[in-house]
Amino acid sequence: MAEIQLIDVSIRDGNQSLWGAMGFTTAQILEIAPVMDRVGFRALDFSSSTRMGIAVRSHKENPWEVIRLTRAAMPNTMLQFIGTGLRFISWELQHPDFLQLVYDRLVASGMSRFVVLDPMHDAEALLESARMLKKAGAAEVIAALTYTISDIHDDVFYANFAARVSSSPHIDRAYVKDPSGLLTPDRARTLIPAVRAQLGEKPLELHSHCTIGLSALSYLAAAELGVSALHVACGPLANGSSLPNAQRVAANLCELGHTVSIDDRALAIVADYFARLADAENLPAGTPQDYDPSFLRHQVAGGVMTTTRRQLAELGLEDKFPDVMREVVQVRAELGFPIMVTPFPQIVCTQALYNIIGDERYGNVSDQLIRYVLGKFGRPTVPVDANIKDRILSRPRAKELAGELPPMPPEELRKKFKPGISDDEFLLRATMPAEEVDAMLAAGPAQRHYNPDLQPVLKLLRELQKRPAASDIVVEKPGFRLELHSSSEREPVNV
Amino acid sequence: MTIRRILIANRGEIAVRVIRTCQRLGVEGVLAASEADLDSMAARLADETICIGPPNSAQSYLNIQAIVAAAAASKAGAIHPGYGFLSENPKLAEACEREGLIFIGPTVEQLYAVGDKLKARAHAAAAGLSGVPGGKVVTLAEAQRLAGEVGWPILIKAVGGGGGRGMKLVQNSTQLALAMEMAAAEAQASFGDPRLYLERYIPHGRHIEVQVLGDGENVIHLGTRDCSIQRRYQKLVEEAPAPNLNDTLRDAMHGAAVAFARHLRFQGLGTVEMLVDCDRETFYFLEMNARIQVEHPVTEAICGIDLVEEQIAIAEGRKLRWKQEQIVFSGHAIECRINAEDWLHEFRPSPGRVTRAVFPVGQGIRVDTHMQAGATVPPFYDSLMGKLIVHGADRQEALQKVRRALARLEIAGVATNLPMHVELMDNDEFARGAVNTGFLERFLENGNRAVV
Amino acid sequence: MKFTNEDVQEILQLVDATKFDELHIETENFKLTLRRNRGSRDWSQESQVLSPPSLLKPSPGPILTGRSASAVGADPSILSRKGFTEVRAHLPGTFYRAPKPGAAPFVEIGSRVDAESVVAIIETMKLMNAVYANARGEIAEICIQNAQFVEKDAVLMRIRPGAA
Repeated sequence: MAEIQLIDVSIRDGNQSLWGAMGFTTAQILEIAPVMDRVGFRALDFSSSTRMGIAVRSHKENPWEVIRLTRAAMPNTMLQFIGTGLRFISWELQHPDFLQLVYDRLVASGMSRFVVLDPMHDAEALLESARMLKKAGAAEVIAALTYTISDIHDDVFYANFAARVSSSPHIDRAYVKDPSGLLTPDRARTLIPAVRAQLGEKPLELHSHCTIGLSALSYLAAAELGVSALHVACGPLANGSSLPNAQRVAANLCELGHTVSIDDRALAIVADYFARLADAENLPAGTPQDYDPSFLRHQVAGGVMTTTRRQLAELGLEDKFPDVMREVVQVRAELGFPIMVTPFPQIVCTQALYNIIGDERYGNVSDQLIRYVLGKFGRPTVPVDANIKDRILSRPRAKELAGELPPMPPEELRKKFKPGISDDEFLLRATMPAEEVDAMLAAGPAQRHYNPDLQPVLKLLRELQKRPAASDIVVEKPGFRLELHSSSEREPVNV
Repeated sequence: MTIRRILIANRGEIAVRVIRTCQRLGVEGVLAASEADLDSMAARLADETICIGPPNSAQSYLNIQAIVAAAAASKAGAIHPGYGFLSENPKLAEACEREGLIFIGPTVEQLYAVGDKLKARAHAAAAGLSGVPGGKVVTLAEAQRLAGEVGWPILIKAVGGGGGRGMKLVQNSTQLALAMEMAAAEAQASFGDPRLYLERYIPHGRHIEVQVLGDGENVIHLGTRDCSIQRRYQKLVEEAPAPNLNDTLRDAMHGAAVAFARHLRFQGLGTVEMLVDCDRETFYFLEMNARIQVEHPVTEAICGIDLVEEQIAIAEGRKLRWKQEQIVFSGHAIECRINAEDWLHEFRPSPGRVTRAVFPVGQGIRVDTHMQAGATVPPFYDSLMGKLIVHGADRQEALQKVRRALARLEIAGVATNLPMHVELMDNDEFARGAVNTGFLERFLENGNRAVV
Repeated sequence: MKFTNEDVQEILQLVDATKFDELHIETENFKLTLRRNRGSRDWSQESQVLSPPSLLKPSPGPILTGRSASAVGADPSILSRKGFTEVRAHLPGTFYRAPKPGAAPFVEIGSRVDAESVVAIIETMKLMNAVYANARGEIAEICIQNAQFVEKDAVLMRIRPGAA
């Protein structure tokens, strides 16, 4: 019937959704990259601003190098970068020339596919980013139609947006991005044809999270409706609040008579690798989710929920989680229904948190929220509630932020740093604390080899390096035995 | 097109080597093994093993029908022929074509082009490379005349041969008739082709080869290897890059190899072997090997590329993933071939059961072997037990590393040439570098070991 | 668990920084020993791959059958002789040489047969299926032992063709 391609999101969106965005190290990626390259995925959702920051901060690894090495290891599968065209790594808005440099360097490092996302569905902003990406040499630029449920986000809204973006020569294809997994099969059957009608020859993809168990069925509906590619994740990185399981989606599509040209053995190896990695690093596997209609109300995406729950737990307030989720609905309405995609879930959830734990609602507001209300993230789809807006903008901090200088062009920004550093290093120094970049550079080249099964042994050896122990150690488990001996003639280690 | 399952039609250390890359890439590896190798390390590592016949090579590893049938029975989509055996046999490649199997190697035409040493010389000439002065000879009179032209002594070689086999050194015209008769008979027996050619013998020559990689359109080179340490034209020690080679000569050799491969529109991994005439500071084309070579690890060490992975990619029809300028060479690598032979007794082969196999391990040390305690060295095949490859930031560091590494290498149960390597790596002339092809004989003579 | 060279290097780096001189790991499939001598910084390794090979049946046909021959109990030294007709199992099941336990076998070595002769029975899922010679000649070889399970296409017997 239809030939459907798969886009795998395990490395970025899957990790971000289920594993608190701990991010994979270079070694963890390179180990499986050659096999992933052979599965037959059209592309991998590989990196984002956030992901690059994590590489520097948490792993002390050079994010540009991660991209280069991965590209070298998997030359036959496109690597995808997702961004909003507003910022790079830090929360600050950046000058367009700065962003052009970011795109140039991403393409030079090996990114070929870019998702442009404007959470307010501001087509002009999106198309400008697309133009800049094409100028940088991007092979494929995809416009995101971010799905949400509200009175204004109906089929006509999306069809108009699709028409607007597909008229640009800088957009190659589009996808329906459903970060909260709200799309029902029924809605898909009206939305997708409406959007496709406006896209013309340009293909349409679907990316829908499994948060309330709807994607399995909406994917199958989408396949019947002319969607060319579906976004999936592998093994333990699938399901939960992540994307549907690649093996299950492929099998289901084949069962219905569609063609999916992938190597299922290679795919099984990939899934198994992530499963063993999850085991080794004590990470939870995504599980299929029950349908929960309350989600259709607050619409908060998986990763943000996990983070919010964790933040509450750190404050000893985990029992307030349901209250916070209810408050989220309220705040979102007051802020003009931003689409709940980064950075808005964070802004909205943080405010909901403040509203619940604080003495009064909007007593405490984040800088991000102030900037949002000042319009620095673009025009909200619907105006912000007038009362809330007044309250927020009358704060002294609001006046400070309103007077914030516009972002500096890169030539100016460069003067703040040592002359002669590479573009790659400059882009990191301009957006991250110096200590973090210095620590990354000092750490040297990243490890390139990772065997999940070996981690317990390596962990034990690391412990033994730190602490003196007996001269003989034996560890025995079913099917495994480890012995360590030291000859007594050696000098004893000083405690 | 993606290859999902490969039939590895070879044995020993190269079978293990190919399987390791298959595992890294997630490709299934099926080992085609003779009865003598059904419990080899390669068999234990492979996803599956299929028997292709009795130990005798002619009925197994040289049996095209058995190998192709094994591929069909195991549903392999491709055959990796390793080195030696049928790796450069166009008939295996043709059989693969007929059966819809991918032959991991160059095209049938390319195998014919370089397999016939005279044709190869002609192609080389067309690509602008000079062969060692010489040519085809049929009659004794022709040979006498040609030898007179190129100068004595000469080497008689088999047109259908290669890998150093079937060559005869002839000092003067009185020895020529007998040498030609013997050479023709040996060539017929070994290669089924009695044709001969002769070349000027270069006494102070260095055997330097250039690794090339082509996708049918583009060709890149991966640097030089010096393989001058040979006994009876069998390589024992190799290094990359070739040491003490002036840059102009090195660049010219890189360029010549690429030109030759480009001329053939070469598709696959290949090596252009050249003889550097140290006296005349020039080089001659010797032959091209259209397969992976035993000594490939030293090239992998200096350029960080998995050559088996590249073979598979090219066989899948992919274009080269690098341009020449992206290839970066770093450091120096040395390889010692550990053979099961007794170098104190004319290098007599020493088959048997290995009771202990201890190898060095550490930064910059690689051991490619199929040996472990309990493994056997069967009497039916060559004596290669394994290769020790060391990599250092420069040749000095590599030399220090290899000496210490050899000291930690222990194989018990069969005799090995390990002691010879220990002495070789300690040898002053070798340490200075750039030894020529006469070096090993001198070394063996000086050591008063049984020579040649 | 599979150990690669890179795994060994990772283990080595860590154990090198401890005071241990010998590390030994053993799983069902693999044994590894890393050792350094007193006074030395350098390590050596001894390892063994223990996993048993997974042997496939070779393809049927005039190829020499080895130890991994499909037929259980086949004598590996018997070569497929050119010109002999093979009697193959037309389905998988248990091979019986006689019509029922205790009865005389259908054929022995040397028995003359023609195309319609029943030479054996294959029992599959409780149903008995006759195996016909499909050739005229003399039973030259019986490759399977009584009551052994055979795969489809397994060579059961060989017939030296000739007039009855």
